[in-house]
This record gives sequence, structure tokens and C-alpha cells, in this order.
Amino acid sequence: MSVPIDDEAVNALQGALSAEHAALWSYTLILAFVPADQAAVARQDIAGHRTLRSQIEQTLTDVGARPVSAQPAYTTPVPVTDTLSAGRLAVTAEADALAAWRSVLEHTTNQQLRVAALKALSEGTVRASRWRAATGTAPTIPSLPGIVR
Amino acid sequence: MHPGPPPRPAAPRLTRRRALSLGLAAGGLGLAAPVLAGCAAASSDDGPDPLIPLVTRARSDAALVTAVITADPSLTGQLDPLRSARTDHATALEQEIARVAGTTAPATPAPAPTAPQAGADLDAVRQAVADAAREAAGLVGSVPTARAGLVGSVAACCAAYTTVLGAPQTS
Repeated sequence: MSVPIDDEAVNALQGALSAEHAALWSYTLILAFVPADQAAVARQDIAGHRTLRSQIEQTLTDVGARPVSAQPAYTTPVPVTDTLSAGRLAVTAEADALAAWRSVLEHTTNQQLRVAALKALSEGTVRASRWRAATGTAPTIPSLPGIVR
Repeated sequence: MHPGPPPRPAAPRLTRRRALSLGLAAGGLGLAAPVLAGCAAASSDDGPDPLIPLVTRARSDAALVTAVITADPSLTGQLDPLRSARTDHATALEQEIARVAGTTAPATPAPAPTAPQAGADLDAVRQAVADAAREAAGLVGSVPTARAGLVGSVAACCAAYTTVLGAPQTS
């Protein structure tokens, strides 16, 4: 007998999907402003976010929910004009995704969904740490990933 | 171009969040297999709070890092953030324990961590943080929803330090 993915968990997953859409949009912009070494990192990060997006969409579809779509555009906290502001956008996008995945943990008792959310949270923390290091954001590894400070 | 939403007043948020009302039940993120019955969210017997070992370990790790830095100050830059993180973990976990216990005082007079002196080196730190990540991750599935985020954050932080510091060289 499995713990179902109820409305609450579905909503949290939709929030994570929204954050993944936003992160993917952000990295497309970031790629235009960062040097080759950081672009290589960004492409890895894009691959990670694409995987998560697909997994969420599949899961939502499997439970009969309609996955939210990406927005045509997003507002960045500050204009992205150079390498540093692009890196900071990555920091923000990763922080938003971490908060969304932490929220998934807090809105389900389904074991497998928790395992999946923890994996996303852990991998996202490593992604976030690279951009925090690149932008001089301390601490490089946040103490409590997913908590907005 | 669509104008984005107005920036939020407090923390700038990129994501455009929506009010969602969707339905339905049962299934999974690769979740088709049956999962543990009744294991999740079982909470309060009168036993000791299951977060207490995490507090003890966090304090112990912070003490270990202090010992390692004392022995080799050149590691300060690399390890001091970890000491801060583990101290933050202990504090946050204690607050959660106190919340559930209904007290405002620091809940656990966590036994004074016995700072390991012998073998207090970088490899011991690697081992400790890997163990901490594993312990917290092991609890994530069974704690109540109100705690799953906190325990998951502790696990994710420690796992990230494991990635950064590298695996222990010796076992």
C-alpha cells in the first residue's frame, strides 16, 4: 500500500516544475554572458534541470495532473549584463529551485517522492555552490539549502 | 516580451509562482513501485526525539573541525564554513526539538561532544561529514512533514561538503 501523491504533493511538484522552467530559461540567458569555462558548467546544469523537468512532468502526467507550462519570459532580480550578474542569476535560479524541492519534501509522506526530492535538493546544492563560488557569494555551500535567506 | 511580475519585496524571486489547484492521487516520480506502508510520518511515542542524534553529531563535527583547524591552521579557509554549517544545523535541530517538546529552552542538553583528539585530520572530517549526510538522509523518509525539509537540508548540505572535500582516503 503506497502513500498516494495527493493534491498537496501535486501542488508542491508543480511549484518545483515552475522553478525548473525558470532555471532553464535563466541558463539560456546566462550562456550568453559567461566565458567558456562557466558555459561548460552551465550546460551541465542545464542537463540536470532538463532531467528534473522531464521527471516531474512524467510524474504529474502519471497521476493525472496537467504539468504547468513555462512562462514566455521571467523577470530577473537585476538586469543581466555581464559575467557577474549572469552568475548571480544562476545563484538565484538555483536557490529558487532548492526552495521548491525542499517544499516537496515538506508536502508529501510518499517515501519515493521524498527520496527523489532529497536527491534533487542535494544535486542542486552542489550546482548552487559552484555559482556561489564563482560570484563570491558566501557561504559557498548554504547551511540549510532551500531556506530563503 | 511579456513584462514579468513585480519583484517581491523581500527576497528577490525569479520564479513566477501560481496558485495551483489540481487534483488526483496515487502514482510516482519513477514511483510506481509500492512503498513502505505506514512508515512515513509516524511520530511521537514518548521515546527520545529522533533528531537528538543529529544534534549530537553536528556538535561533535563542529568540535572535530575545531580540533583539526587547531592542529593545522592552513585548513581554516577550507573548513571553517563547515564548522559554521554544522553549528547552524545543531541550532536549527535543537529549535525543532524544542518546538515539538513544547519548551522554549534549548531542548537537549546534548552530551558534551567528546572532541576526538587523536586522528583529528582532514580525512576524519571527510569521514564525519559523509556519515552525517548518510544519517540525515536515512531519516528523511520517516520524519513528519514538518521536519522533512529541515532534515533534508541538513542532509543536502553535508552531501555537498562531501563532494567538495572528497571521499575519505582511508576507511
